[in-house]
Amino acid sequence: MSDNAIVVCTWSAGRDGLPEGCEEILHIGRGLAAAMGTELNWLALGPLAASAGEIAGRYGVAHLHHAEDAKLDPAGADACVAAIAAYAETHAPGALLVHQTLDARVVAPRVAGRLGRAVVMNGISIEAVGENVQVTASAYGGDTRAVYEVGGGSVLSFIANAAVPEPAEGAALTAESVSLDLSGVEERVRVVEPARFEGPRLDDADIIVSGGRGLGSADNYKLIEELAGALGGQAGASRPLVDDGWVDSSHQVGLTGRITRPNLYVAIGISGASQHMAGCSAAGTIVAINRDAEAAIFQYARYGICGDALEILPELIRAAGAR
Amino acid sequence: MRIVVCVKEVLDPDAVNNYAVAGRLEIGADGKTITQSAVPRLMNGYDEQAIEAALRLRDAGADFTLAVVSVGSDPDKMLKHAAALGAEEVVSIPADPAELDPHGVATLLASWIESSGGADILLCGRQASDDDQGVVPALMGERLDMPVVSVARAVELADETLRVTRVTPEGDEVVEVACPAVVTISNEIGDPRYPAAAAKVKARRVKPAVVSPEDLNLGEADLQPRVMLTRQFVPEVQGNCEFLEGEPAQVADQLIARLKADSIL
Repeated sequence: MSDNAIVVCTWSAGRDGLPEGCEEILHIGRGLAAAMGTELNWLALGPLAASAGEIAGRYGVAHLHHAEDAKLDPAGADACVAAIAAYAETHAPGALLVHQTLDARVVAPRVAGRLGRAVVMNGISIEAVGENVQVTASAYGGDTRAVYEVGGGSVLSFIANAAVPEPAEGAALTAESVSLDLSGVEERVRVVEPARFEGPRLDDADIIVSGGRGLGSADNYKLIEELAGALGGQAGASRPLVDDGWVDSSHQVGLTGRITRPNLYVAIGISGASQHMAGCSAAGTIVAINRDAEAAIFQYARYGICGDALEILPELIRAAGAR
Repeated sequence: MRIVVCVKEVLDPDAVNNYAVAGRLEIGADGKTITQSAVPRLMNGYDEQAIEAALRLRDAGADFTLAVVSVGSDPDKMLKHAAALGAEEVVSIPADPAELDPHGVATLLASWIESSGGADILLCGRQASDDDQGVVPALMGERLDMPVVSVARAVELADETLRVTRVTPEGDEVVEVACPAVVTISNEIGDPRYPAAAAKVKARRVKPAVVSPEDLNLGEADLQPRVMLTRQFVPEVQGNCEFLEGEPAQVADQLIARLKADSIL
């Protein structure tokens, strides 16, 4: 086992049993480890997905380190932070990489705080610069990219907003158990009412139809839902609609909402503010409908319709239903 | 009980967005600073909502003193606004933000909190709308040994226990945590209030207390940045939009036909 390994950290399983974004972050880790001439390791906390060993092999992971503990199933933030910090102290990683979930937004900086290391969030890409690394991160709600340079051992969090190329074949790995002392951990935050949303999530949608302020009023949002239904997709929204209470926040696409990657994204009455685009710019094809021909959304769109969304929507619902 | 809210001055994100989408955002000769003088500076919106969260606790009958603190070069306008809203203490820690990283900011804020009587509740915006990093609250949580609850849309207090409604992708989650704790506030909490006219007039005379790093026994070594911003740029957007034209029924049929031809539908 080598010091300075690039270590991908995951905890808690997503809906398919694998940690959310694990392939995206392994892909980034693999590139960085190659550039720095070191190995890529994967620290998996809590229950291990059956396919983890196989995925680790395909992404060139050298060691799949697995820590099991009742306190990591499910993993609370205090246990995660303690486990990753304990691991870092014994394994001296060159960098700790995480996929940016809502939990990671707290866990990553807490680990960095505990270890006295640098932390960078909203990462998009990374490159090695001698002993240091440079992370290109989204800033100003996606309007700019900030390039940060950090030293070894930093905690780096990445938002997955690009497609991951199909990884090479590789022999499956057997997980190696690591023991991390969590006896002193007592979760300080107690969930009293868990989130209950069980419907399909925007993150997993193949087609998303999103509405924005250009719809004029909350009542018109039902046209977005109808078109989404007719196309076999899901309904999304820009942040102003959520702020104004037209729709609940599970529909919000954007940097402070969901980062989505559908094949088709239809943006209706959405101006294309960077904050919103950060949540949909990785879509395969973007279609924009907007009254303002100068709206930024058309810069991202493959097909554009300049016109009144309320006149076009009923026709689109008809045409989509008839296909 | 004492509630501390940390606020940051940022460039108006809407103005930055307008310049960026128009392709006219100016990055200075250092290659990393937005230099547009026409972009106003204001309090980070999420931080304003953190003050609002404290005021709602007060509306609900909680008894506390409210302290609002800022690290930066020119926070007086923000701090007077906070005083007009009802902050009993307003504190400025002067520093050049370009010389500090999030660890430095968290060290200054946490040291001031410790030296000034501590905090039972520490409220922050979920992130600053300039760098979007959002790590200072968690770094302070580690320094002050407080748990951190993020992205709150509602905060209630009963017997030293906070009940926080969090905005998650799976819907709202309700958690409980004992004070002292750090809570970050999300936009879902809603619009912050305006101060009353009389309070605004009175707050004009308020002079924020000034606390220097030396007052906190912090030297250069304590504030040495670990994260260096080396460059900032506006990402390029591919523009190959094909506009479909005609009556609504025609463009609708054209669009569906194109998407089918492209094998997207």
